[in-house]
Amino acid sequence: MNGPGAWLTICERDVRAVVRSRSQLYSSMFTPLLLLVFLGSGVSHGLEPSRLPAGGFTAYMVAGVVVMTSLFSSTFASASYYRDRDSGMLRFLLSSPHSARTILLGKSIAGVAIGAVQALVVMAIAAPLLDMGWQYGVAAGMLVVAVTVVTLNLLLAGFALMLAARIQTMQGFHLLMNLALFPLLFFSGAFYPVDDLPVWLEVLAMVNPLTYAVDALQVAAYAENNEAFVGLWVDLPVLACCAAVAFALSSLRPPRLTWSGE
Amino acid sequence: MIANDAPGVLAIEARNLRLAYGPRLALDELSLDVPAGGVFGLLGPNGSGKSTFITMVAAMQGPREGSLRVLGQAPCAALRARVGTVFQETALDPAMTAGETLGLAGRLFGLSKSAASARAASLLGEFGLGDRANDAVAKLSGGMRRRLEVARALLHEPRLILLDEPTTGVDPEERRALWQGLRERRGQDCTIVIATNDLAEAETVCDEVAFLRHGRVVVTGTPAQLKRGLGREAVRVRWATAPDAANAAAYGWEGCGTVTRDGDEVLFTVENAASFVPRLFAMAPGPIRALSIEPSSLEDAYFQHVGGRARDEGRT
Repeated sequence: MNGPGAWLTICERDVRAVVRSRSQLYSSMFTPLLLLVFLGSGVSHGLEPSRLPAGGFTAYMVAGVVVMTSLFSSTFASASYYRDRDSGMLRFLLSSPHSARTILLGKSIAGVAIGAVQALVVMAIAAPLLDMGWQYGVAAGMLVVAVTVVTLNLLLAGFALMLAARIQTMQGFHLLMNLALFPLLFFSGAFYPVDDLPVWLEVLAMVNPLTYAVDALQVAAYAENNEAFVGLWVDLPVLACCAAVAFALSSLRPPRLTWSGE
Repeated sequence: MIANDAPGVLAIEARNLRLAYGPRLALDELSLDVPAGGVFGLLGPNGSGKSTFITMVAAMQGPREGSLRVLGQAPCAALRARVGTVFQETALDPAMTAGETLGLAGRLFGLSKSAASARAASLLGEFGLGDRANDAVAKLSGGMRRRLEVARALLHEPRLILLDEPTTGVDPEERRALWQGLRERRGQDCTIVIATNDLAEAETVCDEVAFLRHGRVVVTGTPAQLKRGLGREAVRVRWATAPDAANAAAYGWEGCGTVTRDGDEVLFTVENAASFVPRLFAMAPGPIRALSIEPSSLEDAYFQHVGGRARDEGRT
């Protein structure tokens, strides 16, 4: 079997593992949806934020929960490095006639596919129920959403690879993913417009790659026009560059696919 | 490509292999020839380098120094397609079914989906797992998992099968079923290398063995050759005290081959136990707690060459 066949096989196995693990599958999608329902409707009715660029707060949050779903999913999916190491499967994969890079690629692509599909499902569930702008039309908007979500998950997979190269335990990996990524989510415009933030937080938001993912999703699905948004011409190239940089950095020092720390 | 059964052809040719994990030397100038077509045993205490050697032969890590040729080629990714490996510790995904486990292996080792499926069904049946194909690995017993791993290693019809302690934790019935499947491969253009601590098993299944100690090969030969230097019978004596003088004296007696001490147990290999034992009782300086007489075994040869656990003290 050649390289592409091998990584597809490994990717298929990882995707199947997630589909089989119902609790992982559902929790990655339902937690953001629950957040959307309770926080979104609660804030909409209780606080009535007036500085939103377009419709209601629940609709505003859709982009944020889609990004959040990707974060959850990619964290779970990336932990498969550790699960395979601990179960011994990594040893078996390394005994096959394929390079460690091919194995890593298969696992990364699986992470991207899992994260992207789950995020798109969340978008598909939430969007029809809410008053979304779809300024480019639903079809074109969904295409932009799909491109954004895939690029975002590539970025997250690259980031996860970088972490996996440096963190020995699954617990440590989860901790660091949460510590690093969730603060980024809060400064991304996912739950409130970054324009209202203090200047230093606004600067942080501008150097935060997740800001551009949230912005692209809001431009495509939520906004009625591009005012008050960064815009797709900036969002998508920035995300793509960040994803490329993350993968390039992770390839400089890929995770050591060994066993028992030898 | 070489034919495994061609006379004189080596399945593995290792010269002066050296590898360290940090300060610990795992292989220390290890040299070994494994002839093609038979069952070869690697025997030695824990930490003697057996598993490290296996992973090197499986082309999963290279030596720091020395040269290695496996099936006529230097270790590389392509070689792994001709090798099937069962690791010392379980290497299975507990969430996958037995059938999926073999299906994944088939695809990774270049079989088409249909070929992998057909071969998987055949091997599962051969190893007594035919009715467990759809069961998750987590639901299989330890012995079944081991048989599944062996079946997986055979799936792509490798020319070299590496088994690292394949029967550890496997009950006698499971062990028999496992070896039944493996024995059929013997001489079928296939070499089997087994690393084990089970000397009785090695004596039964191996055509040739190597004793390893501290990352080096101490001695190689057929079980018969290795036993030849010993007496015909083995007398095991457990002294109440540790009478080194008595052991030394018996060593000088005519008909006494070797004397090996392992804790409070001493093994004498002798030509004739019937004349040796009364003499031992007559000169015993203290009480003898237990004594047994057995034909000399590979285990006796092992203790002569490798020594008991006491000699390993102080090693990592």
